[in-house]
Amino acid sequence: MINNLMPTSATYPNGYLSIRNVVKTFDTPAGQMIALRDINLDVKRGEFISFIGHSGCGKSTLLNIIAGLLPQTGGQVTLDGKPITGPGPDRGVVFQNYSLLPWLSVKDNVFEAVDAVYRIMPYPEKQARVDDFLGKVGLAEHRHKRPNQLSGGMKQRVAIARAFAIHPEVMLLDEPFGALDALTRNSLQEELVQMLAGDNQTETVIMVTHDIDEAIYLSDRIVVMTNGPEATIGEIIEVNIPRPRHKQTLLHTPQWTEIKERLLYLLTEAYFVGRDA
Amino acid sequence: MITAKPNRLQMQLNALALPFKGEAVIKQLKAAARNVFWASAGFALLLVIWQIVAIFSPDLSGPAETLPVLWAMLSHPFYDNGPNDKGIGIQVLFSLGRVFSGWLIGSLIAIPVGMAMGANRKVMQALNPVVQVLRPVSPLAWYPIGLAAYHSAASAVVFAIVITSLWPTLINTMFGVASLPNDYRNVARVFRFSRWQYLTKVLLPYSLPYLLTGLRLSLGIAWMVIVAAEMLAGGTGIGFFVWDSWNALSLPRVISAILIIGLIGLVLDRGLEWLIQRVSYTA
Repeated sequence: MINNLMPTSATYPNGYLSIRNVVKTFDTPAGQMIALRDINLDVKRGEFISFIGHSGCGKSTLLNIIAGLLPQTGGQVTLDGKPITGPGPDRGVVFQNYSLLPWLSVKDNVFEAVDAVYRIMPYPEKQARVDDFLGKVGLAEHRHKRPNQLSGGMKQRVAIARAFAIHPEVMLLDEPFGALDALTRNSLQEELVQMLAGDNQTETVIMVTHDIDEAIYLSDRIVVMTNGPEATIGEIIEVNIPRPRHKQTLLHTPQWTEIKERLLYLLTEAYFVGRDA
Repeated sequence: MITAKPNRLQMQLNALALPFKGEAVIKQLKAAARNVFWASAGFALLLVIWQIVAIFSPDLSGPAETLPVLWAMLSHPFYDNGPNDKGIGIQVLFSLGRVFSGWLIGSLIAIPVGMAMGANRKVMQALNPVVQVLRPVSPLAWYPIGLAAYHSAASAVVFAIVITSLWPTLINTMFGVASLPNDYRNVARVFRFSRWQYLTKVLLPYSLPYLLTGLRLSLGIAWMVIVAAEMLAGGTGIGFFVWDSWNALSLPRVISAILIIGLIGLVLDRGLEWLIQRVSYTA
């Protein structure tokens, strides 16, 4: 990596990814519903940020605003100094429900994304890129299968390969492992860490999750959202655990316990939603 | 709108996965034999009812009178003794030609218009009332318009078929396109799909089963309408054949034609059903 050419944080008085006074309202039959208000956050280049909160706290809405899929009602989001007005190839997204195109093979699902983002790249190079990323997620031998022939974990691996293959600067993960069983979730979390360590393009990650352990294991900072409607940022917790992190040893460190207790307190007492939580 | 995908194929695949392949084949054969048996039973019942009705109403030809006529028609389908005496095969080919050309032209209009309506709310709001008003009109009402426009009965028949074929395809295509899940649209947006990519890799594959269901319905109705249209138009075709046979007071020929029309309609329908199964996907 060419560190000396990289803009320092001084270049971004408001942070690399800057969320300023963001408000999001939805028009419902019952009237205007304020989903998010007063969202302010500065993300440094290379940071791994998690949004955690109860269902309906608007964390996915916020992620969609950063992705450019939803327009904010008020405020501004800037990336690298430029306001976000729509989706862009600088931001990759892994959706919660995989969102693979069921009529395309595994390989074509990744290929179409690469093809769309890199219009002028020669065809063999695109193919090589696709094969490379499918290899990275261990799906090389499944490339001709359709998504419905794959398990949930494999589908999400395809989605991860697709998102990384366009070499985005920022990776947006919307509850990426939420639908997976615990074992698969664990191995995919580790694969994600490896992808991020090995990939020299994607540095900054914003992840929405409702899994406390996942948030601590992966994040540099955890943004805890208050309950919706009118959700906002409740507290930001720094995870000062050096990388690489090892799950087994991590569980016995005082930092882990301290952060986990704080998160549990926030989510089960401070922002407790009651019966249907 | 869309027909549920029959799981006959899956059943066959499951059967093939059984450890004893021979047993599976026997099972399949037994199932096929049962199907044939019950279908034969149904037709036998039809024949019996037909025979009984024919006994009590002497004007109606019974099976004994009709089936030899049908056999004779099918034995020499392509003879041609001038404009008023052609084999049933020739008449069917005339009708199929009109149905397919009208259906094709109608589809070429209906698919793009349906896609535009499904993809754009304003287009939908503008055109949907027009469609709703024109759709219930019997295609035969358009026949005089076709005559006025083309001064030819054969072209007017095709025109009526075009109108017939429009609506089911248009409405199904519109419905398919409009029901595209946001997830797929978001994939196209996030990965910056080009318009062409969006059309060929997202919108068309997603709505293809809907579209083909529309085409299948259109073809079925077109095959029904052609008989009536050709009765009006005269000259050639299976509809003309039916009317001509009635004028010649040959009810056995009319009934034979009905059976042939039904069989061809079945083949057309099953052909498109097969096509739909081939392109449908499991999400």
